[in-house]
Amino acid sequence: MTIKVGDEFPEVQLKYVPYDAAAPNACKGPQLLDTKKAFSGKKVVLIGVPGAFSPTCSVQHIPPYVAKADELKAKGVDLIVCVSGNDFFVMEAWGKQEKVANKILMAGDANGDLGRATGLSIDLSNAGLGAVRLTRFVAIIDNGKVAHLAVEPDPTEVTVTGADKTLSAL
Amino acid sequence: MAIKIGDIFPDTVLTYVPYDAKNPEACGLPQQLKTHEVFRGKKVVLFAVPGAFTPTCSEEHMPGYVRLAGDMKSKGADIVACVASNDQFVMHAWGKSYSVKDDILMLSDANGELGSALGLVNDGSARRMGPIRLARFALIIDDLKVIYVGIEPAPGVSVSGAPAVLAKL
Repeated sequence: MTIKVGDEFPEVQLKYVPYDAAAPNACKGPQLLDTKKAFSGKKVVLIGVPGAFSPTCSVQHIPPYVAKADELKAKGVDLIVCVSGNDFFVMEAWGKQEKVANKILMAGDANGDLGRATGLSIDLSNAGLGAVRLTRFVAIIDNGKVAHLAVEPDPTEVTVTGADKTLSAL
Repeated sequence: MAIKIGDIFPDTVLTYVPYDAKNPEACGLPQQLKTHEVFRGKKVVLFAVPGAFTPTCSEEHMPGYVRLAGDMKSKGADIVACVASNDQFVMHAWGKSYSVKDDILMLSDANGELGSALGLVNDGSARRMGPIRLARFALIIDDLKVIYVGIEPAPGVSVSGAPAVLAKL
């Protein structure tokens, strides 16, 4: 069963390597992110992508969010999180390539917990990406409740999950 | 039961994004690599890592191969390849970060097919690395027959490292 607007966002543990402005090339200790604790009392934009370093994700999906992060925050967003089925080391490296710095928290859902809890997981074995990946989606989560959910009908494209669409939904 | 010397290397399909010398910055289209088709009649050094972009793999394991791939080829290796359960886009990006070009083939075993066939796959879920991770090991495969097996017994790099493999060529 897939998550929908009005639902409480599920509590799952994601993992991420925090950005360190003083040492942007370091690989510091990974941290756990508990979605319930981290999202409580906040407005969160959560971007789900099928694969770090893959063409659509790298070229079409994430860069506009990096470019418009300040606009999103001006409209009340406290935290922007990008999550995929890759692990947190890969997400951290990808974040460096995409130059997200501290604008977007790059989290890994390698165990597939978030995918399963939201019903937004997708089997991409045929594309060589593994059986438990996230489809392309964007959720606006307001104090733990799903206020907006856009799921790309074709996960290889960026239409309803683009940064401009998310901005207008805020 | 893990693969051993004398065994025939399994016939599986791996994926990779080929290096394009004309467009090194491009993110090319993934291709399939059928191990028996590509490895037949060749001497192959194949090393496996638990995770691209992770500390040990990135700092201790991969650099040795980047440095010694050329020497391995001088000693008769036709192909030097790295495999992990990361997907082909991640493997390609990780290879790029070392500028491996086509010196080292960066292969993906995202479904764990090769790992399972070799008996060298682990569950990384406890560390939130997902259920399919390859062990750290290196093999020398000569015309599909395994002639060297170096499976790391503990964290760190010893029998699966480039110097150990070079000595066996």
